[in-house]
Amino acid sequence: MYTADIRQPLVTGGKTYSDVTKDVCRPIENKPTPSWWLGFTIAVVLLLVLAGTLAWTVWEGIGTWNVNKSVMWGWDITNFVFWVGIGHAGTLISAILLLFRQKWRMAINRSAEAMTIFAVFCAAIFPLFHMGRVWLGYWPLPLPNAFGSLWVNFNSPLLWDVFAISTYLSVSLVFWYLGLIPDIASVRDRATTKARKFWYGFFAMGWNGSAKSWGRYEVVALILAGISTPLVLSVHTIVSMDFATSVIPGWHTTIFPPYFVAGAIFSGFGMVLTLLLIVRHVMNYQDYITTEHMEAMTKVILLTGSIVGLAYITEFVIAAYSGYEYEQYAFANRMFGPYAWAYWTMMFCNLVAPQVFWSKWARTTPWFIFIISIIVNIGMWFERFVIIVTSLHRDFLPSSWVMYHATWVEVGIFLGTFGLFFTCFFMFAKFLPVINMAEVKTIIKDNE
Amino acid sequence: MSSNNYWKGLEELDQTQEFVSSNANEFSEGLPLEQVFSNEDSSRANRRDFLKYFGFGLGAVTLAACNKTPIKKAIPYVEKPDHVTPGVPLYYASSSISDYVGHPILVKVREGRPIKFEPNSDAKFFGCGLDGLAHSAILSLYDTTRIKGPIKQGKRKPIKWSEADKYIIDNLDKVAAKNKSIAIVTRNNTSLLLNQSITKFKAKYPNTSVIPYEAITSSGILRANEKSFGKAVIPTYHFDKAKLIVSFGADFLGTWLNAGKARSDYAQNRKPDGDMSRHYQFESLMTLSGANSDVRLPMRSNQTGLHLLKLYNILTKGSDSEGLELPGNHINKIAKELKDSRGKSVVLCGSNNIHDQIITNAINLELGNYDDIIDLENHYNGNSIDEKVFLEFVEDAKQEKYGAVIFVDSNPQYSFADFDNILNKIEFKVSNSIIDDETSRMCDIIAPNTHPLESWDIKQPYKGKYVFSQPTISPVFDGRNTSTSFAKWADENIDTKNKFSYDYEALKTLVSNEIGRDFNKLIEKGFFEKEALTASTPSFLANVNDSINNVKSRKKTSKELVLYQKLGVKDGSFANNPWAHEMPDPVTKVTWDNYLTVSKPDADELKLVDNNVALIEVKGQQIELPVIVQPGQVKGSFGIALGYGRKYAESVKNDMQNLGTNVYPLVGYANNTNSYVIDDEIKIISTGREYELARTQTHNSIEGRDIVREASLEEYRKDPKLRKVNKHHNLVTLWQEYDYSKGHHWAKVIDLNTCNGCSACVVSCSIENNVPIVGRDEVRRRREMHWLRIDRYYSFEALEDKDLKMSIVHGGDRSIKKGDQLSKEKVMETYSKEVGNFDYYQYVSTVHQPMMCQHCDNAPCETVCPVLATTHSSEGLNQMTYNRCIGTKYCANNCPYKVRRFNWFRYNENEKFDYHFSNDLGKMVINPDVTVRSRGVMEKCSMCVQKIQAAKLVAKREGRKLKTDEFTVACAQTCSSDSIVFGDLNDPNSKVSKLYKKYRAYHVIEELGTKPSIKYLTKIRNKKQTTNHS
Repeated sequence: MYTADIRQPLVTGGKTYSDVTKDVCRPIENKPTPSWWLGFTIAVVLLLVLAGTLAWTVWEGIGTWNVNKSVMWGWDITNFVFWVGIGHAGTLISAILLLFRQKWRMAINRSAEAMTIFAVFCAAIFPLFHMGRVWLGYWPLPLPNAFGSLWVNFNSPLLWDVFAISTYLSVSLVFWYLGLIPDIASVRDRATTKARKFWYGFFAMGWNGSAKSWGRYEVVALILAGISTPLVLSVHTIVSMDFATSVIPGWHTTIFPPYFVAGAIFSGFGMVLTLLLIVRHVMNYQDYITTEHMEAMTKVILLTGSIVGLAYITEFVIAAYSGYEYEQYAFANRMFGPYAWAYWTMMFCNLVAPQVFWSKWARTTPWFIFIISIIVNIGMWFERFVIIVTSLHRDFLPSSWVMYHATWVEVGIFLGTFGLFFTCFFMFAKFLPVINMAEVKTIIKDNE
Repeated sequence: MSSNNYWKGLEELDQTQEFVSSNANEFSEGLPLEQVFSNEDSSRANRRDFLKYFGFGLGAVTLAACNKTPIKKAIPYVEKPDHVTPGVPLYYASSSISDYVGHPILVKVREGRPIKFEPNSDAKFFGCGLDGLAHSAILSLYDTTRIKGPIKQGKRKPIKWSEADKYIIDNLDKVAAKNKSIAIVTRNNTSLLLNQSITKFKAKYPNTSVIPYEAITSSGILRANEKSFGKAVIPTYHFDKAKLIVSFGADFLGTWLNAGKARSDYAQNRKPDGDMSRHYQFESLMTLSGANSDVRLPMRSNQTGLHLLKLYNILTKGSDSEGLELPGNHINKIAKELKDSRGKSVVLCGSNNIHDQIITNAINLELGNYDDIIDLENHYNGNSIDEKVFLEFVEDAKQEKYGAVIFVDSNPQYSFADFDNILNKIEFKVSNSIIDDETSRMCDIIAPNTHPLESWDIKQPYKGKYVFSQPTISPVFDGRNTSTSFAKWADENIDTKNKFSYDYEALKTLVSNEIGRDFNKLIEKGFFEKEALTASTPSFLANVNDSINNVKSRKKTSKELVLYQKLGVKDGSFANNPWAHEMPDPVTKVTWDNYLTVSKPDADELKLVDNNVALIEVKGQQIELPVIVQPGQVKGSFGIALGYGRKYAESVKNDMQNLGTNVYPLVGYANNTNSYVIDDEIKIISTGREYELARTQTHNSIEGRDIVREASLEEYRKDPKLRKVNKHHNLVTLWQEYDYSKGHHWAKVIDLNTCNGCSACVVSCSIENNVPIVGRDEVRRRREMHWLRIDRYYSFEALEDKDLKMSIVHGGDRSIKKGDQLSKEKVMETYSKEVGNFDYYQYVSTVHQPMMCQHCDNAPCETVCPVLATTHSSEGLNQMTYNRCIGTKYCANNCPYKVRRFNWFRYNENEKFDYHFSNDLGKMVINPDVTVRSRGVMEKCSMCVQKIQAAKLVAKREGRKLKTDEFTVACAQTCSSDSIVFGDLNDPNSKVSKLYKKYRAYHVIEELGTKPSIKYLTKIRNKKQTTNHS
């Protein structure tokens, strides 16, 4: 097999096969560490905040938020797009990089996929609870019903969202679970307690590690990767159409689909980096998640960040060139209006900050990458806020121009989704192998 | 008895010990209780048991979950009254409540409940349309604070009418015995029925005087007319005949005298295709009249006299020889125009100063405007109160000349300073108030009147013009008509032999004496007009020179405080009305509060901005009010609205407990008349605190957008197609066109030229469509629910040339010429900086634009709803299906006109929003034809689809097609200037289809391709200058 000598090995520290198994199974087979407990407790507290604020919203009404007659979507849909965006990196890493035979993905794809699924959970909360009558949340599903000849509106981008997100979630979930099966079987085989043997045995679905099983497994993985690949592009394209197909200046833009997809990958990698840097540090996985990985991912960030930045500028130039005063005003208002601070925060975080990754030092220094990854996350949240709120708060008729500031309920729900996300993630880190053992074992001696 | 014994078993035969003991029990074998209750045995439940328990459990849960269907009782009439068909409204002619003077209206009654006022379109003379407060007043019938029956104060104990009458008569007799006077404090009473009873009362108690009292008076005009022409009357102004209107501070379209008729008459003359009138408005505060004028000129209110004098001098002497220094030479120009339209003009003066009014009279006489345009013979009976009488009463009461006082609908405790001291000097006080108000709380006994909708009456709002009231509901509470009460106290027998009430009998007799025609026909019609009196030009009796000298001798102060009325609550007598408070002020767009209006230059000097709380010190009184920096307001003038700060019963909830600040104590008194312009020492400072006013519109400039089209009359005459302002877009559409060739195609045309922004349509729409009131805090959060709003935009006139350097983002550099209209925020910002002052803020021109759902053919809202809750009808309506709506709010975001409203909370059955939707009494006003929306659904203008359906049903039942313009929608119906026209575009004879074809008609944001069903007609101002928006 051809090996590239200039590449660093994908797994460092001279790990053996048994080292891999031991390292990855350690958190599952041992009591959680104090730092796990600390993180988990904070996450659960935030999860309770989520439960409380959502309950309050449902009890009192959407009026507990500050959305108003002109800005009917605020933090809710901003958060929705933010979380869906984050969800993109997982599938990209596991599907597209699999198809491209990028082996460096193997150490990180498991956690990236987990992140995707949890992010989509978080995202799904917002379109559901932003409904005035959340108890009728199943009505957008095209179910045969007894309400008469009622059917859904296939023209509505919100309906497309329903399909896109649910497809994405189910495919990602299956793909993730499929990848987990051999590793779960490993845990089962090493199990020392009855319970562990039973549960892992149950979820291993009778995996026996035979060559036939592996053969089928790889075929299915490849097929699922093939199915997932268009989803990486389609989901955020469809999300972007919520805005692009509307008539509101600042939303009605044909550039949105590619711009949103790039933004999603950008933010997704930002979040993957944030998480992996923590995991790597807390769980001592420096040998598996190496600077090589960091560097590869920061390059993706640099690329997608630049694409996003280009999109911002293109958008503005097109608006200026359009000769359409409403569009021109919408963009001038973004830059110099009352929400200019949000616009310039976005510009700095998404366009300027990632440019530091041109430097090798920046790409390989974990603490610095961590800071930038947080900045990227903040920037991408602001991007959605800028698009949604600044477009709505001043649209066609100046009589309806308003300002919008979130209430504590809206902030609480947003913080609460981090609680949900991290609760899931901590549970994942405790109960499931964070690194794909089976795949990593194939690349121990590989520096392809 | 058979001797055969049958054993149950061998045990019985043997009579074993075991058997004997067990046989004594009811169940000899014992029950397997232990087995059931012991834990051990329950786990032995077999599959069958499990299925049994499971089945039972499931069944029980299912049964428990089956809620009993709520029982809704629909009780049929045992004896169905004639004409009453459930579901079919009845209309009764009556007279309006809020203006007190009487104005013909129709009361819509459903199943015995009055639910809405509608204008009586036959009564052309009185002006078509009703204003916002007139509409709101229906809620006073269903007010929870209404007095439920006679109440003796002290313990506020309800008593019987017989006891009340005895108590009152005893006390009145005591007062009469002491030889003290009795005062009857009425309002501007035009009721003949009440007068008749008072006459009877006077016969018994001869020492009785009637003291008319109004919180706000126009006695300056009354006295000036008395001095000038010997007639102390308020003339009737015929704005429909005036070709030139010059108003000095008179807000005749807003709250000055009979504004309802003025709005209606004025609009008739504002059609650019005919002979359009020209309107100059001099004023200090920004009023509705100023907003609608062709040319608005700044004038401090305390300079009204000087302006009039200058005009008078020019008109009579040819030039202003006295050299009065006033800015601009507009008056010269106006004087020339006035001379050119002799006999067809009118000069108005809003001041309550007798001398100002005498000069105005002299000017009008000089111009020959009597009696064609200003009619002194067929005069108006409203505003006809001279406060002199009341002030004399106060003086006499202080000297304890009065032993008793009876308040008839009047409430001086609220509006007259220190009135409680006067009340304390009167032994016996009676009130007829129907609600718990300030004065009635101080009285010994409340003998509540019936609500005007519960009683008979006849009023005479104009000389020779009568308006009738008839009951439209049987009394909700135990009130008694005050005219009946006076008759009773005058020892008249008020018991009638037949079923009819005393006031009915009295009215019938009165009508046959006074008018003498078929009573029933008169009542059905609702009003009666006698032949108008003709009059010759009056002779002038006053000495103008006295007035001129008075004007010249006035001190010159640079600051003034102007107390005015807002169109919402006016003088405050009907302020217990959430509809009136939530109606945005047509000028400031503020709801719920009064405030201090400040001009921009003054605000900068005093370091005040919007929502700052200012401390105002006048005449030793300190008042704190939030500030509004008002474009168009004159430097040196400050304004505060009267009518606020009412205190209602403690049971009143939420925002109705907190209704602004009462500034009646600031009203001045000069030249024997109330003075609403105070130019004493005024001190205004910022307190540094903030109070957020609830405004429905916070951005005031139109940003140069093609939303409201405007042109000058000259431009329009030259080019009726108005190619300069009417941009037509060649639109390509990807959508399939709707086919409306069959059936109806509903549409509206809104004439921006005649719409004056009075906001009556806003209230009418809210009442018709059960639109919730949300209160101050929700309006602050920009969540008012009005389906129809009036957008108001200002643009400013540049006073000097200036080249502005501006960034490319804001459109680049530009040069501003004197007279250009500035309407972009950024341009104004830069211009102000360059010029260094804000003087141009006084030269404002205003446009009003009613905005409601545009019922687009290519509706952006329709495509985005995931559940098809908003759809298009075959008649061109954009429909909203409430019970399908799940509340994604996407439709509202995608609406370019931002007319959709969301139910953020549950507004009905909710203590927090109990403005009438949540109490049993208030709910009676709900229109049963319109769904009360639940929480979490979207709503918007439905083009009164319930009215469309009702009219179609009537036509169908009668087997005919709908007649042309047979019915109309709530907003169009109430418009006094006929600015909103609704109808069927498929009917070539309908008004709307004719207007639709006008060159002036356009769609708002046409280039978006939404194809609305609503068209607007370009505003035409009657001025030479062209409008150049920059």
